[in-house]
Amino acid sequence: MAATLSASEFTVPPHIKTNRRGAVPWLLSYVAHYWYLLLMMLLGAVSNAALAAYVPMLIGEAFNAILASPPQMSALLRIALLIAFSQLLRGVLQFCRNFGAELVGQRVERDIRHELYASLLGKSMTFHSLQPVGDTMARATNDVREVNFLFSPGLNLVVGSGIFILMPVLIAPRYHPSLILTPLLYTIAYFLALWRYLHELQPITSDVRKAFGRLNSRLAEALDGIETVKGMAQEASEVERFGENARRYRNAFVQQGDVEARFIPLLVLGLAEAGALLHSLILFQRGLLDVGQVVAYFGLIQLFGFPTFVSLFAYSQISLGIAGARRILELINRENNLDQNLSGYSQPMQGAIEFKGVHFAYQEDETVLEDISFVVKPGQTVAIVGQTGAGKTTLAKLVNRTYDVSQGQVLIDGVDVRDWNLSALRQNISIIEQDIFLFSRTIAENIAFGKPNATREEIERAARAAQAEEFILSLDKGYDTVIGERGVTLSGGQRQRLALARAFLTNPRILILDDSTSSIDSETEDRIQKAIYTAAQGRTTLIITHRLSQIRWADLILVMRKGRLMAIGRHEELMRTSPAYRRIFSE
Amino acid sequence: MAFFSGLAAEGYDRQYSDRQLVVRMAGYFKPYTKRLVAISIFLVLIALAGASVPAFVARGVDALEKSLSNQWIALLVAAVLFAEVLVWAANWQRRRLTVRTIGDIVLTLRTDAFRAAAQHDLSFYDVFASGKVVSRITSDTQEFGQTVVLVTDLISQIFQALILGALLVVIEWRLTLLVFAFLPLVFLVAFSFRRLARKVTRTGMQAMANVNATIKETVSGIAVAKNFRQEASIFKSFDQANKTSYRVNVRRGLVLSMVFPVLNVVGGLGTALLVYVGGLSVTRGIATAGAWFLFLQSLDRFFFPVLNLSAFWAQVQLGLAASERVFALMDAETAVVQTSHNPVPRLQGDIRFEHVSFKYASQEPVLEDFNLHIYPGETIALVGHTGAGKTSIAKLIARFYEFQQGKILIDGRDIRTLDIQQYRSQLGIVSQVPFLFSGSVAENICYSCPDADRLAEIEHLARQIGDGEWLEALPQGLETEVGERGSRLSMGQRQLVSLMRVLIQQPAIFILDEATASIDPFTEWQIQQALQMILARTTSILIAHRLSTVKAAHRIIVLDHGKIIEEGNHHSLLEQGGHYATLYNTYFRHQSIAYAETSRSLIEGDS
Repeated sequence: MAATLSASEFTVPPHIKTNRRGAVPWLLSYVAHYWYLLLMMLLGAVSNAALAAYVPMLIGEAFNAILASPPQMSALLRIALLIAFSQLLRGVLQFCRNFGAELVGQRVERDIRHELYASLLGKSMTFHSLQPVGDTMARATNDVREVNFLFSPGLNLVVGSGIFILMPVLIAPRYHPSLILTPLLYTIAYFLALWRYLHELQPITSDVRKAFGRLNSRLAEALDGIETVKGMAQEASEVERFGENARRYRNAFVQQGDVEARFIPLLVLGLAEAGALLHSLILFQRGLLDVGQVVAYFGLIQLFGFPTFVSLFAYSQISLGIAGARRILELINRENNLDQNLSGYSQPMQGAIEFKGVHFAYQEDETVLEDISFVVKPGQTVAIVGQTGAGKTTLAKLVNRTYDVSQGQVLIDGVDVRDWNLSALRQNISIIEQDIFLFSRTIAENIAFGKPNATREEIERAARAAQAEEFILSLDKGYDTVIGERGVTLSGGQRQRLALARAFLTNPRILILDDSTSSIDSETEDRIQKAIYTAAQGRTTLIITHRLSQIRWADLILVMRKGRLMAIGRHEELMRTSPAYRRIFSE
Repeated sequence: MAFFSGLAAEGYDRQYSDRQLVVRMAGYFKPYTKRLVAISIFLVLIALAGASVPAFVARGVDALEKSLSNQWIALLVAAVLFAEVLVWAANWQRRRLTVRTIGDIVLTLRTDAFRAAAQHDLSFYDVFASGKVVSRITSDTQEFGQTVVLVTDLISQIFQALILGALLVVIEWRLTLLVFAFLPLVFLVAFSFRRLARKVTRTGMQAMANVNATIKETVSGIAVAKNFRQEASIFKSFDQANKTSYRVNVRRGLVLSMVFPVLNVVGGLGTALLVYVGGLSVTRGIATAGAWFLFLQSLDRFFFPVLNLSAFWAQVQLGLAASERVFALMDAETAVVQTSHNPVPRLQGDIRFEHVSFKYASQEPVLEDFNLHIYPGETIALVGHTGAGKTSIAKLIARFYEFQQGKILIDGRDIRTLDIQQYRSQLGIVSQVPFLFSGSVAENICYSCPDADRLAEIEHLARQIGDGEWLEALPQGLETEVGERGSRLSMGQRQLVSLMRVLIQQPAIFILDEATASIDPFTEWQIQQALQMILARTTSILIAHRLSTVKAAHRIIVLDHGKIIEEGNHHSLLEQGGHYATLYNTYFRHQSIAYAETSRSLIEGDS
């Protein structure tokens, strides 16, 4: 791993340097990188529109050729062939436009995901413990996808149709300067109507989405909890509630339909056709246009059909994409408050822990821990007990600097954790969390995760020490069983023992264990007890536990309530001094 | 319909003939006959006005050969203007009416589907995942609605094309044939692209699913990777997945990028041919210049209906299949049948199983010739290995399942003759994983309260349990939002909330399937307190997993393969040294204080 002198915990050399000041500049820095694809798209779009406009012009000429006396048949053939060839060429160029946009979209999707992921890896543990995985996933898949759609079909259609609008404006004056009038008026009216339409639609679409989300999530809940619903005889009230939600959705849906039904740009197109007809007939009447020109002009006006229809979704695609980009960038830019502290203390760790008047709050006014002080000698086992929400997990996570204290000090071997070299600190502290994450790799690889070069013998020894060998060998392929494959799932207790095996391999000086798994039977319980006991030998161990047997035999017990240390001491002392503690040991 | 053999079929799915489906759907449309008539009138208007625009313009082109009068120009432009505005306005009204009709029909369909789903008994939900039922009620009904929209849109387009086609035939049938000859080609191209696109999309989807799984794993694994400082290795797996995703998607993009260019080329060639042949016809006097113009204009107007037609059948099939799934959900039969609905006064709580036999659908019998009498106010604990029949007994009392033989008597009355709603409202049930609905803690406690505001009462009760210590951990006390399915509360808190629910409900019979999850000893103590309060007031059936619960029972029923093999209280059974003693050593020993005291010596002696 390359240790760089940056402020982040881990860095990957970036593909592309990006400007992260705003969503649009950020996207532009990618676009700039793929300027040649964009150029290909733009050239494709311009020539596609030009060749599309060429057809009515040629048709106009064909009319003149036929209506001439005598009719010019060779000219007609030439025109027909020109149309055929120009449209073949147009197909190729339009493909360039589409595929150019597609490539930009796909590449930007790939690069953004790369940048996002690299930045996530660089962020502190604090960040990751506060950031829900589901939210990160949504940004790494859906939002990144939205950015892709911004380019294809979004930008592709907006640019493509924009140039279609331009064509009549540019070409019509060739026939007569005043013919620019209708295309110009159309363009203005089109954009005004479209702008209004999109603005009107936006809040309604989000209402529809919200109403649907509500309908769906309540329905899912009601059916998941059907036993509760039936058990409490609440079917009728659930049907009523569902009916209400469904009606609310129906109303939002109808409201959206009403706005979409009254699509003004379509009316504008109709008016433009009538206006163009009137204008060209008047000019014809005065002898300023010939038949072919009238026909060509009317054909040009019909080019407006394409922008009118794609505008239904192309523009909203762009705004969705930018919103997606904003969400991704927000995650990338979110502050990263820990640094590596490379020049920090990095002597071998003994494992003494001291909390000195520690206060902690995630946010200013939400105090989670208040005035916590205690001392742990190297090698001791500490049980942390208390109700859910008492602050047990937070307290444990201050030790390896997942969070930093708001006030006071956490000292390891007498040195403030903030003065330790972060890497040295973390390498000597293992945390086994409540939800144990295993990769879809083999069991052996999962055990050796923290020490990739471990030999098979070392892995097996660790598994034995963690009381995991028996169940591993009972699996089809033993240590080579891939977790998650063909329905291989492990129980909480089994996962916990694999995590302990991991810890045996990395041999940390401090082990922090969130032990909230339950055992159904006494035999498994015996094994887990044994594994944890073995793991605690020769290292300082903090256990957040519900098990009376672990609490009973800990060297030190911290009883927490509402973020404070309510009692501290060994079992015998607490039985004497703390009524709350005595209560849990009474049958 | 062989078409949806590929879609996940469920056990309750049945085959309806297309005729049955259409008849049944027609029933849903029936209340909206007036709207449908209006929509049809608008469709005709749109088609007529739509076809008239190019026809008027063509007349204009014909007139260009003569000199034009002002009046004539005004008339023509007015006609075109009128037709254009009419098309827009009629379309507007048509779509407004359509969206209302669809909205209302989908609403009815959904409510019917959910009402049916809520009536199905639990054996139905054992077999069919609730997630799939949800998708029938929301997505399939939605799909059905969308299909109707697409179909009416297409009908409108086709209608317009037909009217235009008729006009063309009248004007010049040979040129019309030429135009029509082109359409199968367009259809074919569109159709083959659809197939190709479907293929690349399918492979693309599979690849994407893999990639998303990897991304999910690498995102979830970040914290672990950081813990062990293995960022580089996890980054590698991510990078590979990301690159694979790119390759697959570019391949898909390539195909999709070709669709419209190819169709445009086909259209362009058609125009070229029509320009030449049409021009020739004009010189020979077969057609007028206006007719020629009309034909050139019409080519485009046939294009879209044909394109959409290539997707039409697949779409209709999807819509039919969706409606079929919704109807199948509605028609699934209920297993629990009440023979009558006699009112249920306040129960004593006397429960009697007489020669009851019970099995889950097509499985081994769980209970056979089972007899048990539970006395009013008694607390019994059911213990035994998994599959011994503990849960089945509890669920039969709750009338969640239908039993095959024998009788269950509640206060001496056949359970099948009771009004099930009234009966269940006197049951308090807490399941192994207590289920909470999103909303506040108070709302959940008061889930079945007829009158909403009992906050003071709840508060009072809550304080009685463990001095209300559990309320401390809730940031906003009783007003704390529990999150979806109660996810923001710990398992212990969820237990407490559901026990509070029972305390408020004051049922006659209490059924508890105890949680196996580990709960911190402080919360555990409060749960026991709440439990004691309930047990004192009800006839209780406990599926016990905790030592303290077994000890609290008046009578422990030891079950094995659906038979009672031992009965008695904790101490007497333990002394007997029989089956209960063995179960105790397997499941309960490690929960005792004695175990805590001796565990250290056990472990140390061992290692």
